[in-house]
This record gives sequence, structure tokens and C-alpha cells, in this order.
Amino acid sequence: MKAFFILVLITYVSAAAAAPTERVFVTNERGNTVSVISGRTLRVETTIAVGKQPRGIGLAPDGSALYVALGRENAIAVIDPKTLKVLRKIPSGDDPEAFGVHPNGNLYISNEDAAKASVIDPVSAKVIAEIPVGLEPEGVAISPDGKQVIVTSESTNMLHIIAVPEHKVVANILVGARPRAAVFARDGKTAYATSEIAGEVKRVDMVAHKVLNKVPLGDDKIKPKDVLLSKDETTLYVAGGRADQIIVLDAQTLQVKTRIPVGQRVWGLALTRDGRRLYCTNGVSNSVSVIDTATDKVIQTIAVGEAPWGVVIDD
Amino acid sequence: MTLLLLITLIRTAVAVPIEVQLHYVGAREDAAFLGVTQGLEEANLQGRFLGQRYVLEVERAASARPAAILAAIEEEALVALAGRHPDIPVFNLSSESDALRAKCLANLLHVISSREMKRDALAQWRKLHPDSKAQAQAWHPEFKKYSAEQLSKRFFKARGQAMDDGAWAGWAAVKLLSDSVARLGAAEPAKLLGYIRTRLAFDGQKGIDMSFRPNGQLRQPLLLVEGGTIAGEAPVKGVVDIEDLDSLGSSTCPQPDSQ
Repeated sequence: MKAFFILVLITYVSAAAAAPTERVFVTNERGNTVSVISGRTLRVETTIAVGKQPRGIGLAPDGSALYVALGRENAIAVIDPKTLKVLRKIPSGDDPEAFGVHPNGNLYISNEDAAKASVIDPVSAKVIAEIPVGLEPEGVAISPDGKQVIVTSESTNMLHIIAVPEHKVVANILVGARPRAAVFARDGKTAYATSEIAGEVKRVDMVAHKVLNKVPLGDDKIKPKDVLLSKDETTLYVAGGRADQIIVLDAQTLQVKTRIPVGQRVWGLALTRDGRRLYCTNGVSNSVSVIDTATDKVIQTIAVGEAPWGVVIDD
Repeated sequence: MTLLLLITLIRTAVAVPIEVQLHYVGAREDAAFLGVTQGLEEANLQGRFLGQRYVLEVERAASARPAAILAAIEEEALVALAGRHPDIPVFNLSSESDALRAKCLANLLHVISSREMKRDALAQWRKLHPDSKAQAQAWHPEFKKYSAEQLSKRFFKARGQAMDDGAWAGWAAVKLLSDSVARLGAAEPAKLLGYIRTRLAFDGQKGIDMSFRPNGQLRQPLLLVEGGTIAGEAPVKGVVDIEDLDSLGSSTCPQPDSQ
């Protein structure tokens, strides 16, 4: 009987660990908080005081931990996505801005002021590697098979390609001014990256490490940041910065399909697992827009903290 | 085996290092020189990934034909210097003279803003703030947007003083040079001059891509600084289009430009 009870308990606990909370987490860079939005009601459930200058945000592969990069604390905060408690802070190297979570659970962090990327095991808090890259590294993208990592250096205008597990830079792709973010296609053979000052998005061959095609996104006001692929990978979403719009493009030709007006200075993007809803952070409006991807229309605008930066969905 | 050798040869050819000689003319005490030094360090950081190395010669040039000349000297000497090296890009890092811009010398590139640009910035600003005591500047350590903060921070850390207009001009000249060399894959001065004058889209960490006008002036936003803080940016929002960098200073030359 006792054994049965323990078995039930274990089943319950492991089921609980696996069940996503359907929460949407948003870092507020100047509010020093994380806004917790219910993905069901699209309302802010609560706001967590997390530490100084929260920017990059990500979930552990099994959803058991939420990580937040704290630029002014040189640390990554580890938060329980269920209890919403800040469990601990682990050293991250200087001025962490963005990071990617590897399928094996390690964090690949861009250290903006130190011109390097750090690889950290968030469980042991050990630094596994430090990789010199260009000036002002920012965007981190990890291939689905975990073998390649892209780090963008904003001031050196490069995509640095890092091989895993060797942790060596194997290629440097010179791109338009101020590359900020990148994303891999599911097969890992193609990636997309934005250049903020050049105002362009490019499609990159990740086998030959070459830019395949690139397009300017419009007038000078478009300062692209985050980039994401739709679930069926036919469509690309680009956060247009101070153009206050999401640019929707054909993922193959990079032709603009439509533009979705959102709040001011849109940077962060996240897509639900089912691909139906797109969330974006509007840094100057202090809000998050929720977009229905079937109609490309904003269905809700949610007030969050000061200067929202990154967004991640636990679903 | 032959194929392998060929591949090795091609790879070696791609990785042939370029050494880029830059020549600085001016006082080592000038803030522009500190900016040049900072720019050089950053150019070499970029060069590590591309097999390009930057070398700075000060005062006496060892090489007869540097890739570019960086000058923090007064107007007359600058005109003479540009005249002696007609096919080498010469960067003006310190003279704000409007008359100098009006000369429209083909190889003289003004990275520092002109007096006229500053006057225009102030005039735009005063349309909204008639009683403002603001000054127009090209750079200020309190300017934090568009990664300006990161540049000011690393300059202060490395050089021990705050970045000002002259220091920014020195840094920006080397940055735009190294950006051009990286994209051209060459450092031949005439090629560089052509590229810089016609194809440059340079990120000077002021939030917009910059290029040179027909008169050789670098298009750039300016800051309105009042009481040591940033009151605004020009082109001034609500007065002109904020992307219209040509609303600050003259763009054209008196005679049709041969460029």
C-alpha cells in the first residue's frame, strides 16, 4: 500500500514536472521584473522582481526551469516556472545579454561587454567554455541537433559559427551592420538573421556558411531585431523595432507578405508550440501584443513592466 | 590527392592576411588620437576573424602609400595634406570649418560634424524649445541609446577619459575604414576611397547607417546637450523627419561634383 502510494506520488510529481504551465514570461529591462501572463486568459497573473536589467530569457528543455539573464548582476536567475520563485542566481560572465538553451540543457550566453560567449551548465553552475567573438555579441541561435551555435556580434558585423562540442569558431560570416538575432530552421541547414542598422534580413546556408539571399525590409525606420519561423516554416516573422510593426515574409524568397502594426519599438518575439499565436514585446509602449497567425491581426495588447525585452512561452 | 592540394591552396589563398597601414597626422594629446587608438584595437579584433591586421604610424610615415591618412590638424595644413595625396582617403577628425567642406576636395572626408550642422541642429531644437540653452554635439558620454553606452563604456575603460566629439571622430574613421576593408577584402587606397564615397552604410553607434555627402561630410545625427544631460537628438522629431540627416548642414558642392 505504501509502495503504491509512493508510486502514485512519483507519477504525479513527474507528470507535474512535464505539464507546461501555458504561461508567457516577459523580461522588463528597466522594470527589473518578469511579467507572468496566462496564455489562456491573456492577462498578467503576477510580476516577479528578478534583479537588475533582465533581458534574455529561456526555458530548460524539459520546462523545469526558467532562465533570465541579468545584465547588471553578471548572473542568470533560475526561476521555477510553476511556483514562480527565484531559486538561485548563477554567475554568467560579464554583462549577459541574450542566450540560447542547448538541447543538452547548457546555456550559450553572449557577454556584451566582454566580446565573448560563455557556455554554462545551469545545474552545476560551472563554466564549460569561454569563446572569444566580435564586439558586442548579442543574438544566440542553436541548431536543433545542437551541433552549431550562431552568435551575432553587433559591432563587428558578423555571425560567428561555433561548433559543438569543440567550442571552436569555425566560420565568420560578414553581414549588414549590427546583426542582432538569428534562428535556425528545423533541419539545421538554413538559418535566418537580422541586421538592425542595415535594416535587412538574410537567409544563410548553414552547411556552406554563406548568405543565400537578403532583403531590405523597407524604409530607414525599420530596425529589425528578433526573427522567427512559422510552425510550417513557410513564413518568417521579423520584429521591426522602431517601425512599430511585425514584418511577415515568405521564408524562401524573403518577399514581404504583410506588415502587422504593433506597439512602439518591438524587439522580442515568441510563437506558441501550435504556431497559432505570436507574442511580441513593445519596449517603448511597455506592452505585449498577441497576434493570431491565421489572420495576422493583433487580438490583445497587454500592459507589462518598464521596457519589455524578451519573451518565452511555457507550452 | 591533387584535389586535396587544390582545396588546400584555395583555402590558403582565401586566408592570405592583409596588412592595412594607417597614418595619423596630429598631436598624440588630441582626443582624436585616443579615438583612433580605440578604433585600431577594435579593427584588429575584427581582423582576427578575417586575417586582416591594422598598423598605425604616427607623425613620420614609414610607408609611402598608407591605406588612409587620419588627420587632426588645422584647416590650411589639411588642405595641403589632401593635395599631396590625391588618391589616398584623408580623414578630417578635428576641423569644423564650413569653408573647408565647401572646397569639396575629392579625397578629403570629414568625420567630425561641421559648424553648420550644429547650427541647424540647434535651430531645429529651438523650434520646439525656444528658451533652451542646449549645445549641439556629435557625441556625449551620457548618450546611452543604440549601444552608444557600450562604446562610451569601453572607451573610458581603455583610455581613462570620456569620449567626446573628437574621440568619436577618430574612432569612427577607423571603424568605417575597417568595415570597408572587411567588405572589400582589399585595402588599396583608391579602391577604398571609391567604396567609402559611394557604397558605405556605416554603423557609428548612433542608431542609423551613415554615408558621406558629395562634399565629403559624414551624415550623422547630433545630440542636444543641456546641463550635462541629453535633452534631445537631431534631426529633431516633430520638426523634420528623424531619418533626414541632410536636414543638418549642406549636402552639395557649388560646382557639379565629378564623383
